[in-house]
Amino acid sequence: MNLREVSSLLIEASSNSFLRTSLDRANLSYWELRKSVFSKYPYLRELADRVREVKERSLERMEELTQIAMESVERNGGFAYLARTPDEARRIVDEIVGDSRIIVKGKSITSDEVRLREHLTSRGKEVYETDLGEFLVQFIGPKSMHFISVSIHLTRERVAEFLRSFLGEEVDKDDIESMVALVRKFLRRKYFEADIGISGANAFAADEGCGFIIENESNVRLSISLPRKHVILVGMEKVLPTMLDAWRAVEVITRYNGYKVSSYVNIVRGPQKDEFGPRELHVIFLDNGRVESSRDPILGEALLCLRCGACQYLCPVFWIVGGYWGGLKSVYSGGIGVIWEYVTGSKDEAIKHSFACLLCGRCKEACPMQIDQQKILREIRKRGYSEY
Amino acid sequence: MELEVLRELLESNIKRTSNPLGVSERECGKWAEDLDIPERGEVLLYTGCLYQMAPQIELFSDLLRRLESIGPNFLDLSMKLYASFLPMGIDVSAPIKLMKKKSRYLNILKNIAYALRESGVKFACLREEPYNGVLYHDLGLDELFEKQMMRIAEKIREAGAKEVITVDPHSTYMLKYHLTEYLDVEVFHYSEILLKSYEPTRKGLEVTLHDPCYLARWSDSTEQMRELLRKAGVILREPEFSRKFTGCCGGPIESIFPNLASKIAEKRLEELKSTGADKIVVACPICLLNLKKVAGGLEVLDLAEVVV
Repeated sequence: MNLREVSSLLIEASSNSFLRTSLDRANLSYWELRKSVFSKYPYLRELADRVREVKERSLERMEELTQIAMESVERNGGFAYLARTPDEARRIVDEIVGDSRIIVKGKSITSDEVRLREHLTSRGKEVYETDLGEFLVQFIGPKSMHFISVSIHLTRERVAEFLRSFLGEEVDKDDIESMVALVRKFLRRKYFEADIGISGANAFAADEGCGFIIENESNVRLSISLPRKHVILVGMEKVLPTMLDAWRAVEVITRYNGYKVSSYVNIVRGPQKDEFGPRELHVIFLDNGRVESSRDPILGEALLCLRCGACQYLCPVFWIVGGYWGGLKSVYSGGIGVIWEYVTGSKDEAIKHSFACLLCGRCKEACPMQIDQQKILREIRKRGYSEY
Repeated sequence: MELEVLRELLESNIKRTSNPLGVSERECGKWAEDLDIPERGEVLLYTGCLYQMAPQIELFSDLLRRLESIGPNFLDLSMKLYASFLPMGIDVSAPIKLMKKKSRYLNILKNIAYALRESGVKFACLREEPYNGVLYHDLGLDELFEKQMMRIAEKIREAGAKEVITVDPHSTYMLKYHLTEYLDVEVFHYSEILLKSYEPTRKGLEVTLHDPCYLARWSDSTEQMRELLRKAGVILREPEFSRKFTGCCGGPIESIFPNLASKIAEKRLEELKSTGADKIVVACPICLLNLKKVAGGLEVLDLAEVVV
């Protein structure tokens, strides 16, 4: 197995002093926030354990719960789909999009997983990420570097340079607020022009067919309420039995993100019957390896992941190289990202990157679900020898 | 480093010596030669060999880092060459056995034995010590790993032991979590035993404590070493990331990504340094090697060098 490429990539990332400073700042600030959240809400650990129990039981009946969720969506007047592969997911989206030209998107790593933006763009659609960091990553690249802090690798100089050429306006690299305002102004027009709004969901309640979407920039509410059609793409592992279960998951995700509360939580039930919200809601549940992995005695645990990013903030390897660990070919980053890549993407890439894990286990302490990543990553290494 | 090359290297060492870095079981048992410790008994002090292998690990990781700095290709090529020499009986790391610097690591083991003896524990030691298998475990080389676990189980069984005292976090983890499949023994880290009846020598030191990952997170053992150090009159400084959130020294990936491992060690050192104390206390031979390598003017001490 050739690890030279991985080695060179990680050495290069670790020598990037801007990245190192950004990671230091973000990780330490996360740590402080986390401590203050835990001191204010000491019951958090217990709540997380409860969510883990519900998630464990839900994963055992993932297919059945997804069916219930799909029936609920249809009952509410929406359209529900089950996509087994990225290709199926893209085809379903193509049909929904039809001739529409402009699409706005909320941040969704599941949509990155099926390369939805690239796909739609290649079909001549105008697609805009509306999360600020994700918008920058869309145009500057190379990838989203973290579940939460997606553009941690971008310097303000690089952002200013991009905005200058993209918007054709003069920008001051030291005036971050103005740069943010410029992007917002640009996107505001797009929300109104767009026919389709695409989002993910942090949790999905099967009983009432509702998607729960956490956000902090109000970009998601605009993306999913102004366009005529709203498309939710959600991994099957996100489906939980009840509204209360989904809410508990949202609370745990938010708090483990380091927030006491997030700015907004959208609960989406179905299409609006009046002339105001979107007239169509389409919910695509994505399998892409999840069902198979849920039956695997070691990999199955990975599906408990809430994608809160806590493990990434506190991983000693991630602290040095950020999202370069996982590789630029993967949309996922860090140890948990390597595991997600193994479940949903290229096993080869995942195996190579699995060797950068220290097996130190701090991620397990950080994780609300206490996922034993070192155990899974060691298993991936082990399987790597027989798969090669 | 290229995995196949690393594997080839380990395997040819194992063939010669039953040890991945070529330190034979007999060599690993030598430290206790003059201590008059029985070979059999209900309680066994098992070292896991990491302290005995420390000079080799140090040399090897230093070599890897230098070669990787020249270029990953160069590293692979050199290691391929190295691996091809080994079956012919040519081992460049052999002269280490003659060097003096290994005595520090062996003294750590002796200190542990003295302290156990002083606190009235009767224990045996193996004359031929099998390696704890951590590298095989970490690399996911399960065939080698399982074989090694069986070898350890056999040796412990032969010694007639019901209880095993370990000296490093990795052996403790291996025996607690993986050996149980093959053998029913109770496992204790030496700090647990010493805490019961050992009176440490008092030392006027001020140190920063670095929790080893595998003691803090897998053996639930963070307070024993603090208590022992306090008993020795040592003033403890805690870094921001400690106990269950302690930071890794980088050691576990140094055989594959030596430069990244060093950067992780530097980062951890920075955290430890920020407490202001000029000494760091560790309780793991791998942490000791990795932090020492980047420590500059700071002194890195093993727990057994402080409390005994």
